Amino acid sequence: MQIWLEIIIRPIFLFFFTLFLVRIIGKKNILRATLFRFVSYTIIAVVTALLAVNVISDFVLGITALLVWVGLLIAMDYLAIKSKWVHDIIHGKETILVKHGKIMEENLLDVRLSAEELLRELRCKKIFNLADIEFAVLEDMGDINVLMKSHKTPLSACDLGIKVAPLTEPQTVILDGTILPESLASLGFNQEWLGIQLETIGVSKDNVFIGQVDSSGDLYLDLFDDSIQIPQPKVKEMLYANFEKSQADLMSFSLETQNKKASDMYSSHAEKIKIIMEKLEPYLLR
Amino acid sequence: MTVAAQIKKTVATLKGNQGTLRLYALQTQDQETKEVYQEVMDINGIIIKDLEERIQVLEYEEPQYKGN
Repeated sequence: MQIWLEIIIRPIFLFFFTLFLVRIIGKKNILRATLFRFVSYTIIAVVTALLAVNVISDFVLGITALLVWVGLLIAMDYLAIKSKWVHDIIHGKETILVKHGKIMEENLLDVRLSAEELLRELRCKKIFNLADIEFAVLEDMGDINVLMKSHKTPLSACDLGIKVAPLTEPQTVILDGTILPESLASLGFNQEWLGIQLETIGVSKDNVFIGQVDSSGDLYLDLFDDSIQIPQPKVKEMLYANFEKSQADLMSFSLETQNKKASDMYSSHAEKIKIIMEKLEPYLLR
Repeated sequence: MTVAAQIKKTVATLKGNQGTLRLYALQTQDQETKEVYQEVMDINGIIIKDLEERIQVLEYEEPQYKGN
């Protein structure tokens, strides 16, 4: 075979072959890969490059080497899942750097991390005060993860004792002017419903860049034409406000009427609306 | 505005709320949320019913304002 023809065919074959190899290795993030994985990726890349430019003259041998390497990698991955011992050997173990708020100096020495480096890593995580740290660990891929002291952790709804409405992921139903029927169906809506919603807002679907439906069924739209002002869904706030208004109405009826029985009826219903508002608040306002 | 008309207005608001609640109860995927909406709709329904009865009484007492 002529050499120039070989130089064309080899990279084409290797392009798809490497694509296939990388796919079967899996989708672990290369930035968070452990050292050994990183070395493996490098070896695959280098062997492929050498094969492509004809430095390794025997093509079949090169491909075999690649296959063996990838096969070993996958076998090791499986073993690592099955056995903790193999896992620790391949990936190493995490090292505890701070425990109960105290730095473990001998562990720092083990991983050859100086105090300055530790402080720098912590500052990268916006932790400037060592006193805020309860526990810190150096992961096997080299990241430091920190558990803050409980009084320094961000406040959650649970801490405040507030009930919040459950949120599920929003579904994208319009993309680039095209309706996506599957995601609509997964929400239990159909295209007619979407058509009615778009008509109410007054835009055509061709003008919609992205349309999302949230878990409560409200539609959010981003249009191509940014000069059009579309009303954002405020139905929930309106509903709450309407209940508030009705409650005020009932209170005033109860004060105005001369009839004792009617007055009692009005005030008891005002109380009921108050209960309704308390029940709905997490769903409508939060 | 007469008292009956005012109450009618409130009933109209509450009925509108009932409709919106029913829509949300149908739209939401979460079972717990659905139940809360249902429960609220039941309470709201009782209030609407009582107020409508009150309107009838008022209209019977003062028939000259009927239909306002």
